[in-house]
Amino acid sequence: MSCLAGAYAQDRTNKGATLAKNQVAQASVKGSNQAINPKAVVKGTVSDERGNTLPGATVSVKGTQVGTTTDADGKFSINMPAGSKVLVISFIGMKSHEVEVGNRTTLDITLQYNDQSLDEVVVIGYGTAKRSDVTSSITTIKAAELKDIPAAGVDQLLQGKAAGVTVTSNGGQPGGGVSVKVRGVTSINSNDPLFVIDGVPFVGGNTSSSSGYAGLGGGDGQTGNSVMAMLNPNDIESIDVLKDASAQAIYGSLAANGVILVTTKKGKQGDGKINYDTYTGVSEVTRKLNLMDLRDFARYQNEVLPIIGNPVADEFKNPDLLGKGTDWQDAMFQRGAINNHQLSFSGGRDKTTFYLSLNYFDNKGILLGSDFKRYSTRFSLDNQLKSWVKIGLSANVSRSIQNVSLADAAEGTIWWGASTSPLIPVKNLDGSWGGGQTVGGVQYNNANLVGNSQYRGNTKTSNNIFGSFYVDLQLLKGLSLRNELSYSLGQDNNVAFQKAGNVGGTSFRSKLIDSRSDSYYWSITNYLNYNKYVGKHGLQLTVGHQSQNSYYQAISGTKVDLQANIFDLNTGSSDQTTWGLSGGKGQWAMESYFARANYTYDERYSISASFRGDGSSNFGPNNRWGYFPGVSLGWTVSNEKFMKGSVSNVLNYAKLRLGYGVVGNQNFPSGAPNPAYVGAVQFFSGPVGFGSSNMINGIPNPNLRWESVKTANVGVDLGFLGGRIDATIDAYKKVTSNMIIFLTGPNLIGVGDQWDDLKAPLGNAGQMTNTGVDIGITTTNVKKGDLTWKTNVVFTQFTNRYDKAASAASALDGKVYYNNYLVTHTTPGRPVGSFWGLVTDGLFRTQEELGASLPQFGYKVNQNETWLGDIRFKDINGDGKIDAQDMTFIGSPLPKFTWGFTNTLNYKDFDFSIFLQGSQGAKAFNFLRWQLEGLNNAYTNQLRTVNDRYTAENTDGALPRFTNTNKNNIAMSDRYVEDASYLRIQNITLGYRLPKTLLNKVKISNLRVYGSIQNLKTFTKYSGYDPEIGSFNNSIKLMNVDMGHYPNPRTFTVGANLQF
Amino acid sequence: MKFKSIYTLLIPVMLLSACKEDFIERPSLSGTTTGNYYNNAQEVRSATSTLYSGLPWRNYESRAQDAIGDVMSGNMFTYTDVEYLNFSISSASERIGGAWGAFYKIIGYANVMIKTFEEKKAAGGDASYLDPAIAECHFIRGTVYFYIARTWGAAPIITDPGATALSGNFNIPRYLQKDVLRFALEELQQAEAGLPESDEPGRVTKYSAKGMMAKLHLYSKDYANAKAKAEEVINSGKYALVEDYNGMFTKMSMNNNVESLFAIQHQLSQDPWGTGNLKNPDRGAGALRTAEADAWEMYVPSLDLLKEYEFGDLRRRWSVMEHGWTNPAWKPQRVNAPKYNAFMANGFKYDTLQPTEDGGSLNATRSNIVKYFAGPGKSFGSDAVLGQSSGNNVVLLRYADILLIYAEATLAGAGSSNDPKALDALNKVRSRAGLAPKTSFTEDDILHERRVEFAFEGDYWYDIQRQGFAKAKAMIEKQNRGTVTAPNYVTTFTEDRMFLPIPAGEIVQDPELGKDPVPYY
Repeated sequence: MSCLAGAYAQDRTNKGATLAKNQVAQASVKGSNQAINPKAVVKGTVSDERGNTLPGATVSVKGTQVGTTTDADGKFSINMPAGSKVLVISFIGMKSHEVEVGNRTTLDITLQYNDQSLDEVVVIGYGTAKRSDVTSSITTIKAAELKDIPAAGVDQLLQGKAAGVTVTSNGGQPGGGVSVKVRGVTSINSNDPLFVIDGVPFVGGNTSSSSGYAGLGGGDGQTGNSVMAMLNPNDIESIDVLKDASAQAIYGSLAANGVILVTTKKGKQGDGKINYDTYTGVSEVTRKLNLMDLRDFARYQNEVLPIIGNPVADEFKNPDLLGKGTDWQDAMFQRGAINNHQLSFSGGRDKTTFYLSLNYFDNKGILLGSDFKRYSTRFSLDNQLKSWVKIGLSANVSRSIQNVSLADAAEGTIWWGASTSPLIPVKNLDGSWGGGQTVGGVQYNNANLVGNSQYRGNTKTSNNIFGSFYVDLQLLKGLSLRNELSYSLGQDNNVAFQKAGNVGGTSFRSKLIDSRSDSYYWSITNYLNYNKYVGKHGLQLTVGHQSQNSYYQAISGTKVDLQANIFDLNTGSSDQTTWGLSGGKGQWAMESYFARANYTYDERYSISASFRGDGSSNFGPNNRWGYFPGVSLGWTVSNEKFMKGSVSNVLNYAKLRLGYGVVGNQNFPSGAPNPAYVGAVQFFSGPVGFGSSNMINGIPNPNLRWESVKTANVGVDLGFLGGRIDATIDAYKKVTSNMIIFLTGPNLIGVGDQWDDLKAPLGNAGQMTNTGVDIGITTTNVKKGDLTWKTNVVFTQFTNRYDKAASAASALDGKVYYNNYLVTHTTPGRPVGSFWGLVTDGLFRTQEELGASLPQFGYKVNQNETWLGDIRFKDINGDGKIDAQDMTFIGSPLPKFTWGFTNTLNYKDFDFSIFLQGSQGAKAFNFLRWQLEGLNNAYTNQLRTVNDRYTAENTDGALPRFTNTNKNNIAMSDRYVEDASYLRIQNITLGYRLPKTLLNKVKISNLRVYGSIQNLKTFTKYSGYDPEIGSFNNSIKLMNVDMGHYPNPRTFTVGANLQF
Repeated sequence: MKFKSIYTLLIPVMLLSACKEDFIERPSLSGTTTGNYYNNAQEVRSATSTLYSGLPWRNYESRAQDAIGDVMSGNMFTYTDVEYLNFSISSASERIGGAWGAFYKIIGYANVMIKTFEEKKAAGGDASYLDPAIAECHFIRGTVYFYIARTWGAAPIITDPGATALSGNFNIPRYLQKDVLRFALEELQQAEAGLPESDEPGRVTKYSAKGMMAKLHLYSKDYANAKAKAEEVINSGKYALVEDYNGMFTKMSMNNNVESLFAIQHQLSQDPWGTGNLKNPDRGAGALRTAEADAWEMYVPSLDLLKEYEFGDLRRRWSVMEHGWTNPAWKPQRVNAPKYNAFMANGFKYDTLQPTEDGGSLNATRSNIVKYFAGPGKSFGSDAVLGQSSGNNVVLLRYADILLIYAEATLAGAGSSNDPKALDALNKVRSRAGLAPKTSFTEDDILHERRVEFAFEGDYWYDIQRQGFAKAKAMIEKQNRGTVTAPNYVTTFTEDRMFLPIPAGEIVQDPELGKDPVPYY
């Protein structure tokens, strides 16, 4: 939003408004001394930095209506009215500046090209554009808007800051996955937008996986981690989000999910700067569930054990004699910590600028065994080698170490933590780990998650290097050629291990799963930029070619019985039957041509058209090439004559934008063969069947082609009251079709998309529509003396509809708990990821109600089947019985809207900001509550709410009776669907800038200290740990499904920004 | 400014020096394609090898086979799959979904292989190795459709998943049970015609097909054909009963022994999913759990089954652990558990008096299952076990079955029989178990024999079911399905429980399944 402010701040300069002082200083003036003449004619030449004269530049006398333009040779002549001293010279694409005429009569004025400073330009992909020329929907966020928020990656920082971008943390796991969705849910495949960091695209998406716990025996949690956590957010200067297809089309097939262009900090000419930024903090869990303690649990045992025919243990006979038992929530949550140190050096001299930063980030999670550390450095160097050659390079090197607690699966750490009986001690009196206690002949929870955390772990270490090298050649006036080589190298080591030992009822055999992978990517991009301004006409052309290549390989080894618990594959057992060894590799290449033309007329009308052709190795010869056009129009209404005058006092800026474009998607569902259009034969790493076996793993579909996303966008940029209020409003309709999908149906087809399925053919099917409105408003409420108060409102609204499936019967299904329970099922006409299940209709509370009951899944009326206190389901299809066909849509995980609301106050040396953020109207499937309120398991802990269950004595109970025979009570139903709307006080920061007088004595140019609270308070009706659930491993089939989800912590930090 | 014009000239060159076309032509690096593979016997047989593996069979053999075949039939007690004990099974039940998914997955594998190999043959591939492979696929497909018909009655039939998936039409109806059985039979006939007389151990042969056909005919009460096919297997002389009954299920060295006609092939390996036998922990007594072997006794023998054994039947201790049962070779040990270690030092003893934390066993029926429990692990004196996985094959058809099919088919629904060949077949099975020979036998004698012979092998439910509703109800309602402290008798068995419901998730995606079955032929 503030960019917009900058953009027409410049417009105003063209009309003779006051300029900031620093801009004046940037022009060099060569003049000749003459005597002062009250009505002197001043003559001169305007040229650019390279000495090319500039025809059509505007020269006006400050504070008057007097003005002229330069002629074909860049010369001008102007009459200075008496008393006037300052000339304002401006030219499109150049910095305007003011010249104090003094006693001179001839002036040689050199204008500088726009230096891409944030206030004035927008990064649009293979180039930049003036904000005022932009005709498509692009949101820009500056570093200043993201400061003081302690987060590992830039993706998390975007939450609530960019209209049209829906960001949810997939959990509180440090360095864990973040779900970033630009304008709704674009695809049924990955929705990760394309991140481009200084021209380096991250084509693999924004999610990387670590190994699960399956290899150690246990439920896998989320394994998706944020790729962006490798980039230190402090290095970021600005972020531009390309939201509509007319802007995205230049990125063609990589752009369907939106493009997020990250520009990092560069050195600036002038005195070198040393910056040190640091913060430190602690974090804690924000909410605990109201679970039974030992006394409650004993009472529960006394009541439910007789129902399943077990004797009640003497130990439980008198619950009041018992203590509270173990609070497993206290045991599994810990106090987290966060520390960040960043040291950067930047500067520039003699046509060279540089930037170097060093960063250390350390975040200990609030759940046992989770933490994330990052060491990173970024370096960039730019040099104007000749007047016509500029070169530059950048390198980002990072190493991160993440301990994954895999907390949030059914059954994961939180699942177990919440359901472990309070009778299990963390440690027994003899010092051994609790677990597997036998009471009354029944053995309770074998596992002990605290003990487990001491014996098992999962560590992912990643080393990443990425950057680019470029050469910019100024070929002719206005014509430049850029050659860019971008690269990224990645190396991951993922170790899952288990030490030998006994925890409760479990004996661990030592085991090591050591997986390593490396990958490289390079792209070579050459493009020509041509700029031409003639009079009121402005033309920018870009044409280019790009080749991209990507390769990865992986290997994984497993051994057991490690000598002395040393995690080295060499220490394991020599018995080869206990070994595991597997590997894999893949590649991908793409070749592209792209072009773009922008034409502006008189700063009023602009049109932009772009086109890209992509050829990808992912597709067969039949449909290898995809073509992606985009076009947009802009009309700056406020520059029309009829808008001048009194209207402009209120509405000083107005621009209408219209855009349409087509972009593509070649994201494949996971498990797709590489390449995907052939019928692959798969080999197994271990013995299968009679030993060495293979499997046909894909039914070929040579006609597989590009997923296509068409977006129409209409937008308006408005400025009121001289920049006090800026608003950008965009409305769009986005239609995704030909989605690349495994053509799976019911299991009976015999092909599917699971790891052990013979893969169904990949095809192009389905259609999905997103319509929405993005609104961003920035207001300067108070600007008086030392006090400034600014407000930024971001509003994101969209509706998603899955219009067409591959067939009437096929649907998108999300399953949980070892794939056993279907919780989402998207039928055409519904939003993607819709929850699916039965609709409850209260309980059977009387014999009459029971007598009138419909058969539920073939159950009869008796104590083992349908009985008093059981759930009554609605007969949705009216066929007189309750069965699978009565399952229906029971809620959408997508919010009606999300919003962010930031207020910033500056008073003298103090700054204060409060950032509220929220989501309205989304539903969540609380699958953890299915376990904790299931009332079908006697031995695990339950929520206190089960005290109010139906019993013969409590026929008004809110929850159904306890039964382990009627399985219908735990069928997936609206019983577990909850409103996940929330309002969160996401961040409050108070900062203080120390007085310069004090700092100057110690050569510090700037020092600010601040304190901040992240996630202070969440207002919600949701009953789980945290209503911000995200999508499990970024899968749109499991959005807002809470399986014991790692909650986002509350974090208190103090920090300092120091500049020398 | 000369250099500038040079660069200007370079531009078109740089832009048009587009990479060669093959830059974006990238073959698969980690696999190969159906187009360029399957060109010799080994490549083809490595493909059919997966049809025998746990990869597609896993979700049936692990748990669904127990829940349906043995819990429902009253052979096993469980706290987990209670709905199979009480017949309160709903269409959302996990095991039903597991079995259904596995069966149709196996069929999917076989379907695509048949199609691929037929195409290879049409393209000039060598029939000498493609034909037997196709016959193997037909055997698997026929066997699984037979299982499906027994489990659900009417059911869908799929033969070309690729075409079905690409068409997008998933409205596939249920076909009449008799048509599913006929389809299965025709598959087995094709297998019989195309399979070799003999093959490497474990691979199905003509006789595997004949044996499976005999079982199918018996199920359809086509006694003449059942008897004929069983007799062909018996007369081949290729099969015999092994002496070490227990070893068939617990020793990897006895995989694919002379008694086995068809078995799911397992291997011991670090990654058990699709490779290993996963029954070990579900059946193992908790007292035998070690760092090497998981054991959580999800399924235990039912009290009713324990009652079924005749006095002196050796199969009782070959199949069930009860107080006093020993295995001196097994010496499980645990870290920091001195009392337990002392108790186990001289070999494993099943003891209901010893405290459970110190190695005793005291569960709901005071017994545990021996079959398919490989033991506490290699370091503790048993066959190797890796966590949840052991390397024992799961036998789906063995010679004892052929003998009992022969005897029952000879009886052919009559009251009793003293046919000498039939008696010989029955008594072969009895004598291995140390029991006296019979001189005449009835249907009930056969059912009793089948129950104890194949206990915990997932078959007895189908024996009950094929008796028809009235008799099945009588058999079920007299069984004690409870614990030593709480007996439990089912009194509500109704005819609709004779077949399992179609999994709920399937009807959601294919609503035709909710309608009445239609003819396939």
